[in-house]
Amino acid sequence: MPATPALSYEAQRRRFTRMAIAPSLLFLLLVAGLPTAFLLVTSLTPGSLVNPGSLTDFREPLANYQNLVTDKRFHETLWVQARLSLYTVVLQVLLGTGMALLVHSGQDRWQSLRHLFVIPMVLPPIVVAVIWKLIYTPDISPIFHTAKALGFMLPAFTSHADFALAAIVVADTWEWAPFTYLMVLAALQNLPGEYVEAARMDGANALRVFQHIVLPYIAPVLMVCTLFRLIDSIKAFPLIFLITGGGPGSVTEVTNYYAYLLAFNYGELGYSSAVTVVLLSITVVISWLAMRLNRNISHQD
Amino acid sequence: MSFTEPKDLSRRQLLRAAGATAATAGAVMAFPAIAQSKKFGGVKLRGAAYQHGFFNHLKKYIPEFEAATGITVDLQLSAFPVYNQQADLELSSGGSAWDFCNVTFIFAARWVAAGLLQDLDTFSRDTKYTPASWSPDDFVKGAQLPYMDAAGKTYGYAWEGGAMLMGISRMDLMKKYNLKPPTTFEELGKVAEAMHGKDDMAGFVSSNLHHWYLPPYMQGFGGDVFANPPGDITPTLTTSAAVEAVDFYTRLLSKYSPQGVLSYTEDQARAALIGGRANINIHSSSWVTSMLTAPESKVKETALVMRMPAGPKGDFPASNSQGLGIPKNAKNKEAAWEFIKWALSPEITTRIVKDTGHSSICRRAVISGADHKRVNTINGQDLSKLYLEVLEQPGKTRNYMAYRTVKEFPVVSDVLNKAVERVVSGQMKAAESMKVAQDAAVDALRRTGARV
Repeated sequence: MPATPALSYEAQRRRFTRMAIAPSLLFLLLVAGLPTAFLLVTSLTPGSLVNPGSLTDFREPLANYQNLVTDKRFHETLWVQARLSLYTVVLQVLLGTGMALLVHSGQDRWQSLRHLFVIPMVLPPIVVAVIWKLIYTPDISPIFHTAKALGFMLPAFTSHADFALAAIVVADTWEWAPFTYLMVLAALQNLPGEYVEAARMDGANALRVFQHIVLPYIAPVLMVCTLFRLIDSIKAFPLIFLITGGGPGSVTEVTNYYAYLLAFNYGELGYSSAVTVVLLSITVVISWLAMRLNRNISHQD
Repeated sequence: MSFTEPKDLSRRQLLRAAGATAATAGAVMAFPAIAQSKKFGGVKLRGAAYQHGFFNHLKKYIPEFEAATGITVDLQLSAFPVYNQQADLELSSGGSAWDFCNVTFIFAARWVAAGLLQDLDTFSRDTKYTPASWSPDDFVKGAQLPYMDAAGKTYGYAWEGGAMLMGISRMDLMKKYNLKPPTTFEELGKVAEAMHGKDDMAGFVSSNLHHWYLPPYMQGFGGDVFANPPGDITPTLTTSAAVEAVDFYTRLLSKYSPQGVLSYTEDQARAALIGGRANINIHSSSWVTSMLTAPESKVKETALVMRMPAGPKGDFPASNSQGLGIPKNAKNKEAAWEFIKWALSPEITTRIVKDTGHSSICRRAVISGADHKRVNTINGQDLSKLYLEVLEQPGKTRNYMAYRTVKEFPVVSDVLNKAVERVVSGQMKAAESMKVAQDAAVDALRRTGARV
């Protein structure tokens, strides 16, 4: 009987690596893979909560996706989602960067606020939603009472078609700008002081130092922040659920809120799953782009 | 022993006999509908409902039921939305975790139509299970309609009813301005306009459940939500009556209601009403009567509760109810029926009214009884009468609440909410918004497989 050839060191290393990560992969498959597979399968049925047999009806597997093509409400939710993501991400990155620059400036009054800035981010999302619900409710909001005392009326932000989305953007920005702040602050603290010092000695003012030294240095971090926040913005739910309920009309109805309504208010599990699959696909594409961009930036470095 | 020899009975024996007779009578009075033989001894019933004062009251009496029957009752109460999601999943997946459960009004049509509940007529109409004295027909028909299918079978018995009434918080101010309580839509608009801004008060207030408030206006103007529910559920949201109703109702909201009323919850609307910050609210009885009964009410002395105004084409106050039912796959159906039969018996219902003042029950005999009237006559206003009138209205006239028995109504209700919001927030005029609503409703109904 011929002896089994000994595995090379590299082959042994690969086998060991595979065996080491196998339990994690199996766990991940169970926790994330199976629900995703269930979602995909359900999206191919006319699944309805009140018609259990419909969850195994695969006669028209693409019917839900065909309906999505003509579903105006779904298209509107995608548009609302796109606007919400754009506004929140831009504001959060700008505000977070500004806060980080202020704290990093070394002035004591800003330094003392460094921990306070993080508080919104660590609050449970539902608490954030309650806080802003109170702020936006004219009956009890101190802002509205102050405005009234000063003799002018503010519009009811959450039920006004022109302000409802802005109200969500402000609340979301308040909650998540600290994420960018933390990331950028960490990057700034690693910025070699001699670069700035050399620029200053050459006569560069603060703006030019920021433009030519600080910004290029923190650009990769800003890119990561942007992409992370973009992915996360698609998950905006508690604020919309509690503050506007998607209204007035459909002004703040984002896609995941629509999927929630379909599943739990109308009982349309199949159609809701199809909406969720589309949303998931968008998120996967954005994540893939994020990783690719990140890799390119790393290679450039 | 002979009854002809009373002299042989001692006084002590007489007292004992009288005591035993009284105890037996008392037990029979309290549990007239329950077999006394403990046929279900050892059975553990699992039930679920949402948190409500009725169940808190009922829980105090459950030990009596357990002692009399040998059944153990495990009643889980959750928050309303939590319960509804649990129940929707439990029932639709054919679960058998519960032996009885709340049949939520807004889901009743879906659950009944999908055959997720046990036909209770098999118990309530059979003297083997239920004595005639339990009287299933005593439940007000308007409150029972949501729990009946097209063939007239019963899948739930109502434990709570809601009758749409009008609450006026500041009759004193109205008198001062020589205004009478409105009885027509036209008068309602005029009163809301005249009172708006008086004493820093809004003329009208409502909350975000427009699918509940709007249909009485649609019907009052001569329209409806569907063509001929439950048979023909083609949405009829673009009729001139429907558009007129939306125009009227949204005017009340946008011109005479507090700022931000579109995002008002029921609690906020109630707070505005009982705080005297809004003059008129048209909602379920328990919400508007809190002007008279809530300890924190500032308008107890000036409040008036009355029937909601009628439209040019008639008077269609909405009504709703919550029921108790048995899931199709429950393990202990007969024992569960024993529990429902006991919980909704005339005796327990009467005791709850007498002991706690809880009034929104659905047995006609109890509502029209002296105890209910005594508890519900406040400031000379007979709320029992108003409550019963409204609950009975759909059973007396055409069943105008049939739109709520359509299992696809949740889809259309959301469309109605959005239609109202678009008009109040100035995005569209009523006609345009209802055109969008009609198209959305038809699309959504077709997607669910409904024939429209």
